[in-house]
Amino acid sequence: MTSAAQPLDSAAMQRASRSKTLQLLGILSGFTAGAWLGAAEAPTKLVSTGISPMAISLIMVIGVFLARWSLPALILGTSSIRADVRRAPHLIIWAILAGCLWAVANTLTIFAIRDIGLSIAFPLWNSNSLLGIFWGFLFFNELRQAGWRRWTGVLGGALVMCVGATLLAIASSAQGPAGHSFRGVWAALGAGVLWGTMYIPYRKAYLTGMNPLSFVTFFTFGELGMMSALAIGYTGFAPLWKELLAARSVVFWLMLGGFIWVIGDLFQQYAAKYVGISRGIPLSNSNQLWGLLWGILVFGELHGRSSSTYAQVVGGSLLMMLGVGAVAFSSASGEEQTRWKEAAQREGRRYGVAADYVEARMDGRQAAGELAPSRSVWDWLLVAAASAVFMVFATMARVPQMSLHWGPAALLVAALLVLLFICTLALWRTTRFH
Amino acid sequence: MESIGNKKASASRLSNVLTDVHFWVPVVVLLAGLLLLSFMR
Repeated sequence: MTSAAQPLDSAAMQRASRSKTLQLLGILSGFTAGAWLGAAEAPTKLVSTGISPMAISLIMVIGVFLARWSLPALILGTSSIRADVRRAPHLIIWAILAGCLWAVANTLTIFAIRDIGLSIAFPLWNSNSLLGIFWGFLFFNELRQAGWRRWTGVLGGALVMCVGATLLAIASSAQGPAGHSFRGVWAALGAGVLWGTMYIPYRKAYLTGMNPLSFVTFFTFGELGMMSALAIGYTGFAPLWKELLAARSVVFWLMLGGFIWVIGDLFQQYAAKYVGISRGIPLSNSNQLWGLLWGILVFGELHGRSSSTYAQVVGGSLLMMLGVGAVAFSSASGEEQTRWKEAAQREGRRYGVAADYVEARMDGRQAAGELAPSRSVWDWLLVAAASAVFMVFATMARVPQMSLHWGPAALLVAALLVLLFICTLALWRTTRFH
Repeated sequence: MESIGNKKASASRLSNVLTDVHFWVPVVVLLAGLLLLSFMR
């Protein structure tokens, strides 16, 4: 009896330990995502140089497209992407749909930044975490059998975030340019709803076992296609082309913004995979704090404003961060994770995906019989071509004539690189990026 | 025979997608977002 029970206990302990490691990895990924997503919005400040929001968004998405193909090719190779798609081809539809949602939300954020400023717009569109919690509960069994303590953490955190967002919305009426603050608030909130809903495809893909690196490569067809359609539809092809040519000195900076966004988004995908969307989104929404740091320290956004506006923005942001913390530390219990697995099995049955593959990928490992990922010459060519495009535009780039504080910018960049190194190492050691 | 099987599997997959609420919720939100964007213009 004892000898039979011992290996069973040992296996259960290993599973519990693995589960705890993956949860911690998800939390670390969420915070790293926040830092990089926050930094990515800084280049959109170039909107003040007279380029239309549509052109800015399109150029950023072109940078995003290049990054979403070259980074996965560099990390795992495109053979791994093909293998994932063969197992769950239906997820291509969700990836493209999520990409379309991202493109529309991103365009709305450009309007929001222009009308109410980065430091105000950020927390408003970060209300997407509330929606993410709702969708996670409704569709993917998140927070089911989570216990009162975790429910209090998540709901209490969400409530505190709402109070913080309200404070910031009130401050925006004094912050934004006359006649546009209301429109800016709607644009930011609309972006929040679109991004909050975008996490439905994310979670669906990861419950079914798809690798985040595979998902983003199809996601990007949706975002580039939708963004191109919006830009051409709203501006017209000839005027858009003229504008892109005129903007070539800042194309590099905007594409770089898109590239930085992709790095943040990749970590966000791993957070959504390992801690679910109800916790992963609030964690990555710590980008609000990073955006605030960039806005205030590097771009001097609140310079010269009244002290009450300053207090509202800082107080509202701190409240939102407090809420984010409460949500983040209400990690999923064993019972809740069992409910996640039930949701995964449901998806597998519905779309005919092998159960062992779904289980292995949820556990951050390769399925039995799965070939080890390898890179071919085509992957290296893809990486080289993307790098060449960036280099060409870098040679045309000029530093925009804006008042920037370079000291704080250097410190923030150093912090980003440290987080990137730590989180990449942790992901590699624990999951080999599966 | 294999080709017929593949076609059946594809049709079944498409039918599963179109009857999945996880598909229609993002579609509706996307359409609302496009409407908001046209208002922003």
